Amino acid sequence: MKVMVCLKQVPHQDARLDVAADGSWIQEDNIKFEINSYDTYALEEALRAKDAGEAEVVVVSIGPDRVTQALRTALGMGADRAVHVKDPEADASDSLGKAKILAAIAKQEEPDVIYCGLMADDGNFSAIPPMLAELAGMPSATGVISSEASDTSITVRRELEGGCREVVELPRPCLLAIQTGANQVRYASLKGIMQAKKKPVDVKTAADLGVGEQVGAGAAKVKINKIYIPPKSDQAELLEGSTDEIVTQLVGKIRELGVL
Amino acid sequence: MRESSEAAAVQPLDEWCRFDLFAPTPEHELLAASLRQFVEREVEGQASEHDRSETFNLSLFRKAGELGLLGVTIPECYGGAGLDAVAAVQLLEALSTSDPGFGLALLAHSFLFAHNLAVNGSEEQCRRILPRVVSGEWVAGMCMTEPEAGTDVLGMRTRAERDGKDWRLSGVKTFITNGGIAPDTLGDVFIVYAATGERSLSAFLVEKGMSGFRLGQKWCDKLGMRASFTAELIFEDVRVPADNLMGEEGQGTAHMMRNLEIERLTLAAQGLGIAQRALRVMLEYADQRKSFGRPIREFGQIQRHIAETYAEYRAARAFVYDTARRLSFRSAGQRVDADAGKLLASQVAKRAADAAIQVLGGNGYMGEYVVERLWRDAKLLEIGGGTLEAHQKNITKDLARDPSIVG
Ligand SMILES: Cc1cc2nc3c(=O)[nH]c(=O)nc-3n(C[C@H](O)[C@H](O)[C@H](O)COP(=O)(O)OP(=O)(O)OC[C@H]3O[C@@H](n4cnc5c(N)ncnc54)[C@H](O)[C@@H]3O)c2cc1C
Repeated sequence: MKVMVCLKQVPHQDARLDVAADGSWIQEDNIKFEINSYDTYALEEALRAKDAGEAEVVVVSIGPDRVTQALRTALGMGADRAVHVKDPEADASDSLGKAKILAAIAKQEEPDVIYCGLMADDGNFSAIPPMLAELAGMPSATGVISSEASDTSITVRRELEGGCREVVELPRPCLLAIQTGANQVRYASLKGIMQAKKKPVDVKTAADLGVGEQVGAGAAKVKINKIYIPPKSDQAELLEGSTDEIVTQLVGKIRELGVL
Repeated sequence: MRESSEAAAVQPLDEWCRFDLFAPTPEHELLAASLRQFVEREVEGQASEHDRSETFNLSLFRKAGELGLLGVTIPECYGGAGLDAVAAVQLLEALSTSDPGFGLALLAHSFLFAHNLAVNGSEEQCRRILPRVVSGEWVAGMCMTEPEAGTDVLGMRTRAERDGKDWRLSGVKTFITNGGIAPDTLGDVFIVYAATGERSLSAFLVEKGMSGFRLGQKWCDKLGMRASFTAELIFEDVRVPADNLMGEEGQGTAHMMRNLEIERLTLAAQGLGIAQRALRVMLEYADQRKSFGRPIREFGQIQRHIAETYAEYRAARAFVYDTARRLSFRSAGQRVDADAGKLLASQVAKRAADAAIQVLGGNGYMGEYVVERLWRDAKLLEIGGGTLEAHQKNITKDLARDPSIVG
C-alpha cells in the first residue's frame, strides 16, 4: 500500500503574529513555524497504517525553504520520503491552485489513500481536501477520527455535530481528512531523526508537475484583500463575584436593557 | 496579533544571524521537539513519586533507551546517534525541567560511563559493552569517589595489582550513581578508577558477577536527586581480566580529564533545566496569585525575582551552549569554560529554585508545586562532578597559565 500525506507548515501556535505592512497576510519573517496540528494527526494515522502492515508513506508539502523542517520532522517520525513543491508561484496560488498541484503529485504517486488534515490552523478554509479528492477522482470523507484499511476499502469513523459518530466505508483509492485528537501523535525517536537525514526529499516546481499554467497568483480565483484585527469594542463588561452575585447582576443588566 | 505600523519595522535577519545557538542543525531542532514531548508525556507524571519513594525508574530508563536517548553522543556503529555535546546539553536541560534525579541517573550512565568508554576504550570493549548500555539493557556508572577521597582524586586508596595477565582490584567506592538499581540489585557495569602505582591511576571495566564485587550500603535520605540510586560499592580482591583494562596502564588520569568537559557541561545543563522550570513556575504563579487585590507580578520585589532569574538563566544558557558548540570529543580544550559553565549554571539553578519558592510563598514550600524538589536537586550540582571550590581552583589555575583566555 502507498499512502500520501499532505502537510502544511503554519506559524507556531506560540508565535507572536504581526499583520504585514500591506495587510495581505501576516509578517512571516523571524517567526517560528510548525506542522499544522490537523496534519500531525493525519500523519499519525498514516504511520499507524504503516505500522499495521506494509505501507510506504510519502509526505508532501508546498512552501518555501522553511518547509524542509516540517518534512524532516515527518521523516523523523517514520515517513519514508518527501516531496517538496518549492515554487513562489505555487505559494501564491489559492486553495484550488494548491489542490491542482497536489492532484498532479497524486497522479504521479498513485497512492491508495491520501491523508490530509481537516483544515489548516492559519487559513481555516478546509477547502483543499475535498477539492483534491475531486480533482484526483477519489471518494473522500472529512472529520475522520479513525480509519481501518482492508484490501480494497477503508472503513472510517467520522465525527458529526452534537457528539454523533458515523461509520463510512470508502473504496480505495480515497482521501481522508483527519480531525484533531483522533489519536496520540508520536514523536520522533533519535534513531528516526538520524535516519531522516538520509531519506530522500524530492524538490519540484509546479511546472515540473505539468500544472505551471494553471496555478499562481494569476490563476487564483480567491484573493485575500485584507486581514486585520477586529476593532476592540469597549462594550464588554466582566461581572465579578460569587455565582449568585453574578446571576443577580446579570439579571439586573438584562432588565436595564429592557430585553426582559 | 499586532497591527502593521510596528510590524513594518521588523526586518528579516541576515542568514548568519539566523544561527540558533540552542538548536544549530535540523537534527537538534527535531531533538528539541521530541524531548519536549517525551518529558511532557513520560517524565513529568512520574517525577514526584520517584522523588518521594527514592527509587530509580528502570522502565522509564529503558523507554529512553528505545528512543535512543541513552546514546546521544555514542557512535552509530555502537547503536548511538553519534551527535555532539549540544545534543547532550539539550537532553539534560530538557529532562531537568521535570526530573533532575532521573536526569542524573541518565547522565552517569550515558556520559560518566558510555561516553567515557566510547572515547577511551578499545574497539573490542566498545563493541561488547556499548550496545547493551545504549539500549538500557545494562545500567552503568563511574566510580571515582571514595570514603576518604573525593576532590583529592590522587589520594584514592582503591588499588589494582597485576596477577599474571589479569588484575586484582580492591577498595571501596562511594556515592556512586547507578551503583544499584534497586535495593540489593547491583548496577551492571562500571568504570572504576584505581591506583596502579605511585601517582598512577588506571581505569577498569568492572562487571556485575565478577567475584568479590558487591553492593555496599544504599545512601538513603538524600537531600535531592532522589530518583537516582546512590550507593557504596565494594571490591574485595576482584579478579579483572586484562581485556577489561580501559586504555593503557597509568592512563586513568588522562581518561578522566578527557571526559571532564562533557560531564561538567551536562551537569551544567541540569542547572539550566532547573532554572528554566523555576522561572516558568514563578511566572505563571505571579500572574495568577493576587494579594492586596493585585496580581503579585505587579509588585517590584516579585519582579526582581523574575527578572534576575531570567537574566541569569539566559546568560548561563548562552554560555553553556556556546561551550558545548566548541567542544570536540577527541581533544581537550574547553576545560576552563566547562568548569566555569558548571560553576555558573549550578548556582543559577539554586538561586532560581530559591526565588521560585519565595515567589510562591507557602505553596512554594510544598511538594505539589515542584520548586521545592528542584531546590533540593539543585544543591547537588554544587557538589557532584566537582565542587564549586574545585571549579574555582581549576579556573584560576587555567587562567593563570594562559591569561590570554580572558580576552
Ligand atoms: C548524589 C551524588 C551522586 C554522586 N555520584 C557520583 C558518581 O557517580 N561517581 C563518583 O565517582 N562520585 C559521585 N559523587 C561524589 C562527588 O563527585 C563527590 O562528593 C565530590 O567530588 C566531592 O568529594 P567529597 O564528597 O569527598 O568532598 P571533599 O573532597 O572531601 O570536599 C569537602 C569540602 O572541601 C572542599 N575542598 C576539598 N579540597 C579542596 C581544595 N583543594 N581547595 C578548596 N576546597 C577544597 C570541597 O570543595 C568541599 O567543600 C556523587 C555525589 C553525590 C552527592
